[in-house]
Amino acid sequence: MQTPKEIGAIQFGLMDPETYRDMSATKIITADTYDDDGYPIDMGLMDPRLGVIDPGLECRTCGSHSGSCNGHFGHIELAAPVIHVGFTKLIRRLLRSTCRECGRLSLTAEEQDEFRDGLQRNEELGEDWTDVLKSAVRQARKADRCPHCGAPQHDIKHEKPTTYYEVQDVLAGDYSERIAEAMQPDDEGDGGVSPAELAEDSGLDVSRVNDILSGEFRPVGEDRKKIEKSLDVDLTEEDMNKLMPSDIRDWFEDIPDEDIETLGVDPSRSRPEWMILTVLPVPPVTARPSITLDNGQRSEDDLTHKLVDIIRINQRFMENREAGAPQLIIEDLWELLQYHVTTFVDNEISGTPPARHRSGRPLKTLSQRLKGKEGRFRGSLSGKRVNFSARTVISPDPTLSLNEVGVPERVAREMTQTMNVSERNLEQAKQYVRNGPEGHPGANYVKRPDGRRLKVTEKNCEELAEKVDAGWEVNRHLIDGDIVIFNRQPSLHRMSIMAHEVVVMPYKTFRLNTVVCPPYNADFDGDEMNMHALQTEESRAEARVLMRVQEQLLSPRFGENIIGAIQDHISGTYLLTNGNPQFSETQALDLLRATSIDTLPEPVGEDETGEPYWTGRQLFSELLPDDLNLEFTSSAGDEVLIEDGRLVSGTIDEDAVGAFGGEVVDTLAKVHSKTRARVFVNEVASLAMRAIMHFGFSIGIDDESIPDEATAQVDEAIGNAYDRVNELIEIYDAGELESLPGRTVDETLEMKIMQQLGKARDSAGEIAEDHFSDDNPAVVMARSGARGSMLNLTQMAGCVGQQAVRGERINRGYEGRTLSHYQKDDLSADAHGFVENSYRSGLNPREFFFHAMGGREGLVDTAVRTSKSGYLQRRLINALSELEAQYDGTVRDTSGTVVQFEFGEDGTSPVKVSSSEENPIDVENVADRILDAEFESEEEKELFLGRQERPTNISEYAGPGLDKAQSLEVESDD
Amino acid sequence: MVDVSQHELVPEHTLIDEDEVESMLTQYDVKRADLPKIKRKDPALPDDAAVGDVVKIVRDSRTTDKAVSYRLVIE
Repeated sequence: MQTPKEIGAIQFGLMDPETYRDMSATKIITADTYDDDGYPIDMGLMDPRLGVIDPGLECRTCGSHSGSCNGHFGHIELAAPVIHVGFTKLIRRLLRSTCRECGRLSLTAEEQDEFRDGLQRNEELGEDWTDVLKSAVRQARKADRCPHCGAPQHDIKHEKPTTYYEVQDVLAGDYSERIAEAMQPDDEGDGGVSPAELAEDSGLDVSRVNDILSGEFRPVGEDRKKIEKSLDVDLTEEDMNKLMPSDIRDWFEDIPDEDIETLGVDPSRSRPEWMILTVLPVPPVTARPSITLDNGQRSEDDLTHKLVDIIRINQRFMENREAGAPQLIIEDLWELLQYHVTTFVDNEISGTPPARHRSGRPLKTLSQRLKGKEGRFRGSLSGKRVNFSARTVISPDPTLSLNEVGVPERVAREMTQTMNVSERNLEQAKQYVRNGPEGHPGANYVKRPDGRRLKVTEKNCEELAEKVDAGWEVNRHLIDGDIVIFNRQPSLHRMSIMAHEVVVMPYKTFRLNTVVCPPYNADFDGDEMNMHALQTEESRAEARVLMRVQEQLLSPRFGENIIGAIQDHISGTYLLTNGNPQFSETQALDLLRATSIDTLPEPVGEDETGEPYWTGRQLFSELLPDDLNLEFTSSAGDEVLIEDGRLVSGTIDEDAVGAFGGEVVDTLAKVHSKTRARVFVNEVASLAMRAIMHFGFSIGIDDESIPDEATAQVDEAIGNAYDRVNELIEIYDAGELESLPGRTVDETLEMKIMQQLGKARDSAGEIAEDHFSDDNPAVVMARSGARGSMLNLTQMAGCVGQQAVRGERINRGYEGRTLSHYQKDDLSADAHGFVENSYRSGLNPREFFFHAMGGREGLVDTAVRTSKSGYLQRRLINALSELEAQYDGTVRDTSGTVVQFEFGEDGTSPVKVSSSEENPIDVENVADRILDAEFESEEEKELFLGRQERPTNISEYAGPGLDKAQSLEVESDD
Repeated sequence: MVDVSQHELVPEHTLIDEDEVESMLTQYDVKRADLPKIKRKDPALPDDAAVGDVVKIVRDSRTTDKAVSYRLVIE
């Protein structure tokens, strides 16, 4: 096994061409790869000294075999220097800020000191220093003349990607014509200028002016400026002088070390001339392996193809130069070499056509290997694929605890846990091996003390089982009670990844209790989830203590429970406790069957026939701890009172046991223990399922119908609204409508109409609501908060109401009207998308169309919102990811900079804070509980005042658990 | 001109003396440069603040009533 290496430091900088040559295993001179016999050619691109890829061969440089040899770099001596595309911006900056003659930075000593101080200061403060660099370059660029040698400086033009020009103004070739033209009289009564006048005006000799006009004397420098000034003409043209890479290299060689420091380059590791390549490193063959196709043909890597191009051009360049080819041809070849080296580094440079494969596919060169989602960083390093993971469809199983996950046997047989064999678990280990890889629970591999790994097969398992002894390692299958990590993407908060205990099950899906759907945001319409088996004892312990579902009951987002009863559980508890129904002994026992309660309390009373009965609230109370006292308002609207663990009055619904802040669950998790809360949630779910099955719960279209008289009332209410809308329109047409402050008359009318129609729908809803009985399933769901709202009911039974696009009545379509069915400028309700029918009575075609318009806006909105908010959250997370709350209470980033002096200003964790409004930190309540605590003896008090450890419940299969542990035999091997 | 530092939403910024700075730095075990920064020209700063000074900021807090933080004055 390879020993892991610790990275002490990483240094970034430029590399000296000499270093390239030193580390090179060989110089590459031929573009060919293999000879006719299939052997790599010496000093070719596949030279055996560059490393080995074929198994069995030996590396000519280091002597090791493929797999242990990382490969060795070679090098190509470039015939002429070329620019490295990765540094074009820095090259431009250096050209612009240094002197073309002496290479010194075009800044005075004082300026230079100032910028160097600025750099140092910013580095000390840990801030970005690029601003200082940029302003230094800007300052240096301003200089017309070098402050050191006085040489005039020219502007540098950068033609992307790799061409640089020196721009200087020179005297235009047609200067005499330009002067003559300016001296001619023109139409606007300008009398023209005679040579004598010009001479006088500009202060030149008349003879000199005549010489200039005849083209015999070239007016340069001061003379040119004088003429230009007096005649107001421009006598210059831009001259572009191309800077060849060799020129730039010579230029950069002159830049002194202390000057590049001011430009943010560390002279101890980098010299600017190294940005111009004279030697090209050739990556080892291991970085560009060739593949042998089925037909025996070799297919080379894109990088190899590119290197072949470079070597070919390089050779042609040298041949041509030696043969004394004309400058033009040499320059063309130079440019071609530049192109190939550029695309070797980056094949997606704008302004350069990408180098293509014969098939037309662009080559994947160095930058392309690193960049983007599938690149080395995001694809291979941050996003590695891992072993010991599984993914499949999820489905519900209400019989599981919320801490558990059902794992298909096929998955359990594939994923293993390492078991260190000792005298104590020797028999179990042997049994696992004996069961083989096919049996469950079996083993897939064993490791002997000498480090040799053996695969357990059906054939050798019996034999191997006998050999297993203390000191061996056995990779056994997952069994019940193992801890695994379970995850559903998108992992938006920490509850998206939680630890579960394994329950091995038949069939092919992961099974999970429905109460863990909210934290994962999972449903069972085809969702898939990932599972990871933990491989070290440390990680397993951490997962159990920190990541198990019961430890994640409280959300740090809002500080209340995120796990609790959902949907049918809530309907169930509502039916059980609302109106406090009575149950016979059989019924009561049946309701509590799936819980850990196995004895019924004293019955409340006897019915007419003398049979004892129990009430729903009484049965629910059985699940509560004896010392629970609570008082709150339920979402059904009544006051819930819990005294000493007895539900005295009120309805248990979403506000009591629901996910997202159910009072009872929240209090149990915070005041009692996470374990107690987990037991409670499990049992409430079981009890509620029994309850809802006892009462029966279904919904049909008739549950949304209302009597004829109610329909008549609804129609009347809508009719009234129509009348009022028409009145408004009449007032408006008469021009008598008074506008509301800050609005136009049109807007006022729209608002008032919307108001009236909104009222109409509300009153239709009220009428419908009045005619629903309290046991109507839709009403039960809406009242208890299980699913749906009263508005949904109103729309189903009463009236769907106004359809809106962008918060306004529907106003689009034709000019002045929404559909061709209406008159132009019809302002009435039905012409602008008011749906007076209910979903049950059915929409007419026009209503249906308007409804589709409103509905589409909703769909588009959600689609846009999810992608926008997702990106927003990604950026936020990236910005905050390195912040950490320290042990001293401060929040700091990785460089140690303080971000907050006290976490969240108050130093409290949101999940440890009481949910009650009045006392965010409920000191009194805590103190009361401590005072109320009974001490039967002094020892007990001492025990209490000392440190009494709560029993830690590490697993549902071990330790002093509250439900399963008592009933199940403990089977644990580690 | 409105004096922004007198606005009710601008928390109180006070310069603290060197002793207090030192004790604060030891309390949090930080270097001066690791403090959050504030520009010298920030209108909330007292007029006599100089680069390198440390200001103490006492903000109103929803949870703790008063929350104290420190910032290093930079250019």
